[in-house]
Amino acid sequence: MTAMGRTYLKVTVVWLVTLAALYLFQAVFTS
Amino acid sequence: MSALDWTIIAVYLSWIVWDGIRLSKNTSEIEGYFLASRSLPWWAVGLSVMATQLSAITMIGTTGQGYAVGMGLLQQYYALPIAMIIIAVTFVPFFHHARIFTAYEFLERRFDAKTRSFTALLFLFSRGMATGAVISAPAVVLSVMLGLDVTTTCLLLALPTAAYTMLGGVQAVAWTDVKQMYLIVFGLVAACLALMMGLPDNVSVGEALHIAGTTGRLQVFEFSTDPSARYTFWTGTIGALFLFLSYFGTDQSQVQRYLTAKSIDEARTSLFMSAYWKIPLQALVMIIGVFMFLFYIFTPPPMLFNRAHDQRVRESARAGEYVAIEQRFDEAVAARKAAAEQLAVAQRSGDVAAKTAQAAAFNAEEQRVLSVRAEAVALVKAVSGDSSYNDINYVFPTFVVTHLPIGLIGLLMAAIFAAAMSTVAGELSALSTSTVIDFYRRWVRDDGDQKHLLWVSKLATLFWAVFASIVAIWASELGSLIEVVNRFGSFFYGSILGVFLLAIGWRRANSTGAFVGLLTGMGVVGWVTLNTTIAFLWHNLIGAVVVFVTGMIVSELTGPRRPQSAVRVPAGEA
Repeated sequence: MTAMGRTYLKVTVVWLVTLAALYLFQAVFTS
Repeated sequence: MSALDWTIIAVYLSWIVWDGIRLSKNTSEIEGYFLASRSLPWWAVGLSVMATQLSAITMIGTTGQGYAVGMGLLQQYYALPIAMIIIAVTFVPFFHHARIFTAYEFLERRFDAKTRSFTALLFLFSRGMATGAVISAPAVVLSVMLGLDVTTTCLLLALPTAAYTMLGGVQAVAWTDVKQMYLIVFGLVAACLALMMGLPDNVSVGEALHIAGTTGRLQVFEFSTDPSARYTFWTGTIGALFLFLSYFGTDQSQVQRYLTAKSIDEARTSLFMSAYWKIPLQALVMIIGVFMFLFYIFTPPPMLFNRAHDQRVRESARAGEYVAIEQRFDEAVAARKAAAEQLAVAQRSGDVAAKTAQAAAFNAEEQRVLSVRAEAVALVKAVSGDSSYNDINYVFPTFVVTHLPIGLIGLLMAAIFAAAMSTVAGELSALSTSTVIDFYRRWVRDDGDQKHLLWVSKLATLFWAVFASIVAIWASELGSLIEVVNRFGSFFYGSILGVFLLAIGWRRANSTGAFVGLLTGMGVVGWVTLNTTIAFLWHNLIGAVVVFVTGMIVSELTGPRRPQSAVRVPAGEA
């Protein structure tokens, strides 16, 4: 995998982690 | 505001103009003036991209939305990282290899002059109008807060911005964006901390957030499939994906930012700064709105946040009626505060039944507050004749001016100015670039005289600054801040994206197909806007798909062009 390919993967992983964190935030404070 | 706060604002305005001009280098040729000689580092480009996108509307309109309805708007940004990856793979290498000044220049190389000129004209019209709204929206609010008239405030925002943009070109814009971005983030973090510290001692931040959660303000995932629902997970990840592809991939105000980067990879990396930070930054803006809601539960809020309207009703023949409503409002606010404290106690106890009961009681009191406030708003509308009255954009500036310490007020006001100016500067620079490159140099004079072109470029920047200021004064009559900006762009965004997708993604597409596709896409989006309730974020998807499909069909029917080689991307770089 190229360096830029790894960067795309990193962006995707950070994106999914961000969405998961927001979902957790919603779940905790709206329960 | 105190003399110290005014001094901070004055120092900021003077310094930003001086600094912008000081940092401009190699602007004796138009490549230096418009593209910083393609020499900027990724981090400066990345911050400039973010500063251009984060306007004062975000600071006052979006915090107001967070206060009034919560964080649902955040979903609109969920697709941004994916859009950045797609743009990094497709648009960025094409634009860099084409060695272009404007995104629309690329369309002439791929199709023809009329497609380029038409899309550039759409950009100039919509972005010129939107720049006016970007000045007007905060100017209306700041004028009330600072006690100035709207025209003076518009000019206070536009003139310094025009000065450093006109004299320093894109380098002045980029380097001032970097510093303005630091100021904006500092201001947002300071406001958030001040709000958290403003909560009463007997209510923790966690308990306060639970109170906000019971009102639905922390709902950041809404999976409704109703096409008229404005902010859902689906509009945010599918509809907004096309909005961001269009904005970051085809709008000159963004494309110009990453064309200033040293290389393709630096341009890509600059975009990934937004991919990583835009959602958290937007969440910070919206949580400030939620914390303002919580702050004003425990600290009595004004019934109306627009002091000018409040004063007007108090001086009218219906002042007695207004005072009576205000008395009921104060009682409802006190009852809501008591209910919130009970809810916090129930939350602390861990008793689920008590918590459910107290949450219901709190929401009933919240509805009572809203109901009384609605009566006051109706009275304001009747007295002022302003049927579109909406004061949510005044909430954040009101909090800043009335509850922050001296000094911090000036810094926050300077941060609002910075947010507006960084956006306006980027747009003025892009408008000037497109005017000179896509029209003046293309159709009027192209003899390579750099001195002459530079002079015309500065004149074009000045023209757009004057145009935007005039629009700003006119636009102050329009309604909600965020929608004013979105309304101008949404008619064209998806369709322009469709043309670029056709250029890059369908090698057999010809100029007839592109042009007919563009007109058809705009017509369909116009029809959808006027005749359906489909949410505006879907319009971008509709426009792009209609243009692409129509362009493909018409190209095939009218004789497809031979594959293009002028802007081919070398293997391995896409």
